[in-house]
Amino acid sequence: MQHRLEEMWMIVSVGILVVFMIIIGYQTFAMGMGPPSHSETIDPQKVEETAPFDEPGVFETGENKYEVVMILQSFGFTPSNIEVPVGAEVEFVMTSKDVTHGFQVPGTNINAMVMPGHIQKISHTFDEPGNYLVICNEYCGIGHQAMSTTITVK
Amino acid sequence: MKTTEAIKSEKQLNNDDEKSLRGTLVSVGFVAAVIVVMWVAVFWIYMERV
Ligand SMILES: [Cu+2]
Repeated sequence: MQHRLEEMWMIVSVGILVVFMIIIGYQTFAMGMGPPSHSETIDPQKVEETAPFDEPGVFETGENKYEVVMILQSFGFTPSNIEVPVGAEVEFVMTSKDVTHGFQVPGTNINAMVMPGHIQKISHTFDEPGNYLVICNEYCGIGHQAMSTTITVK
Repeated sequence: MKTTEAIKSEKQLNNDDEKSLRGTLVSVGFVAAVIVVMWVAVFWIYMERV
């Protein structure tokens, strides 16, 4: 036996879910704002011989557009202490040589899990100058707490 | 075949049931409000940082 009030809250509940999914779905598929995840794979034992990771670093790819090719390994980032100008649109292309690491810049939407065997891509536009802290947020071993670097935007 | 009396008492029963679901509706509405507020807050933080 269904009641009017039960129908009411079922409709509202389903409506809320549908609205959430439409907003998120539109952002992901129409605006390209999906979460970082990439299906590209790499042999984790041959990272240093595989392009583009044979030459990690910061590369200018366009007008105030940069690509950072980065290798993560216990317990550091290569390259580290990156510098980019204000307003730079930076795409990070990352992989791990050993275990799963994290790449997070607190206060921004940069937060990616970097797994061995996978190539992870995430981009961000640095509109505010300053010193950004980069931390590994996946426990990766005895030196995990020391795994950090900075991005300087000026 | 139901008697008029029986239908009447059945209606009465349903009405009582509905009345007793008021509190449930309010509680469910409260949970929904909490979910919506949290979702909007997280969404807002994300959009602030894009
Ligand atoms: Cu790590």
